[in-house]
Amino acid sequence: MDFIAQSFRVATALILSGDRDVMSAVATSLNVALWSVLFASVAGIPIGAAVALGRFPMKGTVRLALNSLMAMPTVVIGLLVYTFLSRQGPLGSMGLLFSPAAIVIGQTILATPVIANYTLTAMQGADKGILPTARTLGAGNAQSLLQLAREVRFALVAAIVAGFGRVVSEVGVAMMLGGNIRFYTRTMTTAIALETSKGDFAFGLALGLILMAVAFAVNAVLTVAQESSRA
Amino acid sequence: MSLAKYRLSDVRSSYGAILGVAVDELTIAAGGLYVLVGPNGSGKSTLLDILAFLNKPEQGVIAFDGAPVNWTRKECASLRKRVTLLHQHPYLFSGSVARNVAFGLSVRGAGKEDTQAVVSESLERVGLAGFESRTARKLSGGESRRVALARALACNPEVLLLDEPLAHVDRSSAAIVESLVVSLVSGGMTIVLSSHDERLGRRLGAEVIYLEDGKLAAAPEQLSSVPFACGTGGGHAHS
Repeated sequence: MDFIAQSFRVATALILSGDRDVMSAVATSLNVALWSVLFASVAGIPIGAAVALGRFPMKGTVRLALNSLMAMPTVVIGLLVYTFLSRQGPLGSMGLLFSPAAIVIGQTILATPVIANYTLTAMQGADKGILPTARTLGAGNAQSLLQLAREVRFALVAAIVAGFGRVVSEVGVAMMLGGNIRFYTRTMTTAIALETSKGDFAFGLALGLILMAVAFAVNAVLTVAQESSRA
Repeated sequence: MSLAKYRLSDVRSSYGAILGVAVDELTIAAGGLYVLVGPNGSGKSTLLDILAFLNKPEQGVIAFDGAPVNWTRKECASLRKRVTLLHQHPYLFSGSVARNVAFGLSVRGAGKEDTQAVVSESLERVGLAGFESRTARKLSGGESRRVALARALACNPEVLLLDEPLAHVDRSSAAIVESLVVSLVSGGMTIVLSSHDERLGRRLGAEVIYLEDGKLAAAPEQLSSVPFACGTGGGHAHS
């Protein structure tokens, strides 16, 4: 018990002192996660909406593929992107491997099916009267879809939060495509894995606490925003 | 003689193997008031959806203001700015009553001041003056339907289609809706509404169109012997 208590004390001190390693990992994690979620939202929300509302052949297969991609192991996505970004790969000349950009690419692929699936569920579950009502009041297709998005905005925010949760907590993509380079591509999760394996349990614990605090803060902000817009 | 707002020829629409509506000939005169009467499943809502340019019929020709409708996406969007349908169970968007009533105006790019004035006027017409800031989803059933009617009126459509506007509505709300319908028609608006109540057509002085199993039907004997009070329609239906 002493060991755990001591680790908590050291972890608290690391956080309060603004330890450079800790802060760098936090900043890198948030930076790549936010960019990844932004790109994944831009791709995932229209994909989810198209699958939910569109009529096209093999729609069931597309849904199955989206569901399967949600469960795709992070290391497999890391491996696939690695083959493209490695020197011998088709995009090797861009020199992106072991950079934050490489992590963003991998995490975008990771989060897109999550956001698409949540969007699909939200739009399929929305009241069937929304689109006809908007249309009969004179809204064009884009305006009607925008209105539908407004009506299910809380579910769309939940989709984005789920995507954020998926990327901010993953290790495989960040490790394989970022390379865990100190002050450059080291994220909270890769730092936790590394430092804990080296025996620096307090450092890992400090980052773990921050990771949980970030998740809590993001959800708290969104919950408050939802409640205030409902009022 | 009134000009034809709609002219339907050989219009058919179905849901798989089930016939939705089959109309050989139907003319809706501009500025007329029509009541579609028929039992559940007789095709009233399907016909209103077609008249609202929300659903394209599988076959047949519809002319609107004398021009045949081609059912292109762009044309339908343009026509829906002139025709508004109030559904049987109207959906109110989240947010305030004012935001709901202003929706049609905002998609038409109306200015803020004009919008506010039209919203207030529309709410007043349905007996809900001062309801602007109320939360739409917290209204009673009757109030919700009147907000939906105000939202349709705010668009100032040439044609107003009302699907069962008096179903599940209390007496006072029904009286407001009925007198509003009559006043809108005297102002030149074309109105087609559906109802189970065969007496509604006589009360409103409307042309009654009977539907049965998706097809136009002859008037039931007990009603056809009673002359309409003052027919404003002038439409002709042939099955």
